[in-house]
Amino acid sequence: MTYAGRFTAARHELMAATERGEGGRNALRQYSHRMDALVQQLFADAGAASHAVAVFALGGYGRRELCLHSDIDLLVLFAGTIAAEDERFLHAFLNPLWDLGLTIGHHVREVHEGAALENDNPEFLLALTDARAIVGDAALLDQFFAVSDRARTATRTLDALKALIAERHARFNDTLYQLEPDVKEAPGGLRDLFGAQTIAMLTDPSLLTQGGSGPRALEDAEEYLLRVRSILHLEAKRHHNVLGHELQERAAEILRYGGSTPRQRVERFMGDYFRHARAIDRSLRWALRAAPAPVGRNLVRAADGVRFVDNRAAAERPEAWLRVFQAAIDGDCGVSDDALTMIQQNAGRFTPEEFLPTAAHRDALLNFLKPRPGLYARLSEMHDSGLLGQIIPEFKAINCRVVRDFYHKYTVDEHTLLTIRNLERLIDPARPERERFARLLGELESPELLVLALLLHDVGKWTDEDHAAESTRMAHQLFERVDLDRESRGVVEFLVSEHLKMSLVAFRRDTEDPEIVRQFAALVGVEERLKMLCLMTLADVEAVSRETLTPWREELLWRLYVDTYNFLTLAYGDEVIGPDASVQSDLIEKRPADLEAEQIAHFLEGLPRRYLQLFAPEAVYRHVRRAQHLDLDAMQAWLERNDAGWELTVLTHDKPFLFSNISGVLSSFGMDIQRGFAFTKPNGIIVDVFYFTDDERFLELNPGGDAQVLKLLDDVLARRAEIAAKLKGREEGIFRRRLPGFAPVIHCDNEASRRYTIVEIVAENALGLLYRVSRVMSELGCDVDLVLIATEGRRAIDVFHLTRGGQKLTPSQQEEMTENLQRVLEGRP
Amino acid sequence: MKLIKSIVRPNKVDEVKAALEKLQISGMTVTEVRGHGKQKGHTAIYRGQEYNVSLLPKMEVEVVVPDSMADDAIRAIIEAARTGEIGDGRVFVIPVGESYRIRTGEKQT
Repeated sequence: MTYAGRFTAARHELMAATERGEGGRNALRQYSHRMDALVQQLFADAGAASHAVAVFALGGYGRRELCLHSDIDLLVLFAGTIAAEDERFLHAFLNPLWDLGLTIGHHVREVHEGAALENDNPEFLLALTDARAIVGDAALLDQFFAVSDRARTATRTLDALKALIAERHARFNDTLYQLEPDVKEAPGGLRDLFGAQTIAMLTDPSLLTQGGSGPRALEDAEEYLLRVRSILHLEAKRHHNVLGHELQERAAEILRYGGSTPRQRVERFMGDYFRHARAIDRSLRWALRAAPAPVGRNLVRAADGVRFVDNRAAAERPEAWLRVFQAAIDGDCGVSDDALTMIQQNAGRFTPEEFLPTAAHRDALLNFLKPRPGLYARLSEMHDSGLLGQIIPEFKAINCRVVRDFYHKYTVDEHTLLTIRNLERLIDPARPERERFARLLGELESPELLVLALLLHDVGKWTDEDHAAESTRMAHQLFERVDLDRESRGVVEFLVSEHLKMSLVAFRRDTEDPEIVRQFAALVGVEERLKMLCLMTLADVEAVSRETLTPWREELLWRLYVDTYNFLTLAYGDEVIGPDASVQSDLIEKRPADLEAEQIAHFLEGLPRRYLQLFAPEAVYRHVRRAQHLDLDAMQAWLERNDAGWELTVLTHDKPFLFSNISGVLSSFGMDIQRGFAFTKPNGIIVDVFYFTDDERFLELNPGGDAQVLKLLDDVLARRAEIAAKLKGREEGIFRRRLPGFAPVIHCDNEASRRYTIVEIVAENALGLLYRVSRVMSELGCDVDLVLIATEGRRAIDVFHLTRGGQKLTPSQQEEMTENLQRVLEGRP
Repeated sequence: MKLIKSIVRPNKVDEVKAALEKLQISGMTVTEVRGHGKQKGHTAIYRGQEYNVSLLPKMEVEVVVPDSMADDAIRAIIEAARTGEIGDGRVFVIPVGESYRIRTGEKQT
């Protein structure tokens, strides 16, 4: 049969049904089905396209409710970029439809365009919610959605829908009681019904069963309105949806309303119309009011917490489960009972790898572990539903584990989760009593590693052996499985294996003995680990029982922290690597082929031991390599990009104003120095490393910008250029813009170190700060031997180790320096 | 009977306890306390700023012993708690007139 023949037959079928008053759901489904066959035939006859292609029905046609004169809304989706051959295909496919006199609403898209779906036009987004495959590779639509941001698309679709509803209702003066109603557009019409259904589909499929007029009334209303609409199209012979007075009579007649006069029949008919319109209106209002908000793909936030829109689909996608808990933390609510039940029923079906299949999923787990209010509650939900033990089977080993030690009051798993609650409570502004510890937590670079370590610290308690060692062994299994980076592994392993040490030293050793502090400082090595271990100890002791962490113990712990912190930042200059090669034997043994053992030993000699704790072996080897044949005036410097920003390393011979000049060069390019170290060897070679952020994106936007920075550095160090002039303009800007901050603190100390005068500066971070303060020191004839640079929020914390003529500074020199520093920090001339 | 009240460094409690147990003195009360004697505490510096540590954490160990054992107990405590430096603590001896065991109401003299 020809296209026209098939088409006409289908229309006659629908017209006959409408004449009988049966132009409702069944007739329209049948008509849609016939239209599908026609589209399939046209598709087959259109020839081949250059890519995989598929056609989808949208809107009312997608819902199989195609009316006699409705537009045919189609989506033609191509797998790749549309080529000339595809254009030809489109013409061959669409032209016969136009020739049949149909009004076609066609959208042509390429699969990759799904990535920008959320910005597509709102009507298209709405029509897409009813998309149904007619012909071609149906999987293309899944691919189209897969590259889209589903949560944002769903949110935008919902917002667009709400806006369209409000706009449409305004056109009808917000009332459904129209004497000549538009059965499609008016309040209580078909569009409102689809609106309510779409809201439910996007947020909670059971929404319309929970409130409004109920599903049965809606079904009846839909059937009624579709029958009426079919009559309107039939009688008007065009796309016409207004139920005018004449058509009301005709519709009442076709639908066989009883009554002795036409007026009576119409009144009964319209009575039914308003009843159905009211039902739709009530359900739409309910849906608008009660719909949960979309918070992710297949995720909404409802009154009872975050839930999956489609629980059954979610049951097959274990990698998406963690996102429910993340969304609950983000939304400061819980996870709904039915989501938890689904997880509980299905968690056992999957392996740990299936929950974290990609690096992105593993990163999401770490991100989830960042301490925040709600983390304990969510972890508890994960534990109770069995999910935590499936993702981290090591944790399952201590499920409800009872260890009788007359000390702990809770099972091992709950003790562990309580440690995390204690940590998250530190952040709670309603509990300011542990403010000093809370500040430490705020200073951590990767607090999630502390939470991971807390989760693992007691997993070894499943055996009665040394649990710290067993926990460490089990932690290694997890590292492998989640492919944790080397640095993070080092931190978590340290925390798990040493988690008992700080309480032992703080509560059972004489911490007033400098040797005890020295040994403890050697164990922790760097401030970041000290802070983490201190917080871990606090959280761990507090989770033993309500009474364990007394203010007295808290004080002991804090004192050990402060003494160790001071040792690490103030006294480390006295702990140098000696000529004895044993310290660096591991470095020497595993050295690369191009380096000699003596070269390494020679380079390390005289550097503070701290150097070895700050740099990974590869970095040390690189320093050794670059330090060879370093002529007196030569400089070795390089820039590298890292996760948080940039890193500048400089190796050269010490000279006056060196440190000040290097920091000045970075500041002159607008770089914000965040962290850094400067080491000076007794033979005058310096190793300076600066970590900085490039807020003005100079390095990113200027190809060759890194060479420009290094060139200026070389020129300044060789005195071919003057840095003060370059900084002047920037500094003036800073002083003008200066915000009211806190008063700077300058503290000189001649006691902490045997060899150095230590100057500690805590001040508001500002561009060129390091340059200015170190310049003051150099101007007073001081050698800047060692520097530790740290930034915490708006505060810069810089510790300088100085000598003058190889000696510590005298009290009067200290006084002069403090005065000059104060002046510079306050921006006075 | 004598009540022996000693103020010792926190890290010395285990040693004091062990020394008393050697003398078969087992009942004791240990309390976390804070205070200072001649030591007067000191000021600690954290990030350039002073913070007060004038009251030092100490432990108070109390035992009641028969008069005949008091000297041995005092000596044992002093030996166990001593480091030779300032801040080692203090021992007070107080005569006890009467004592009662609460469970039985039995009087001990």
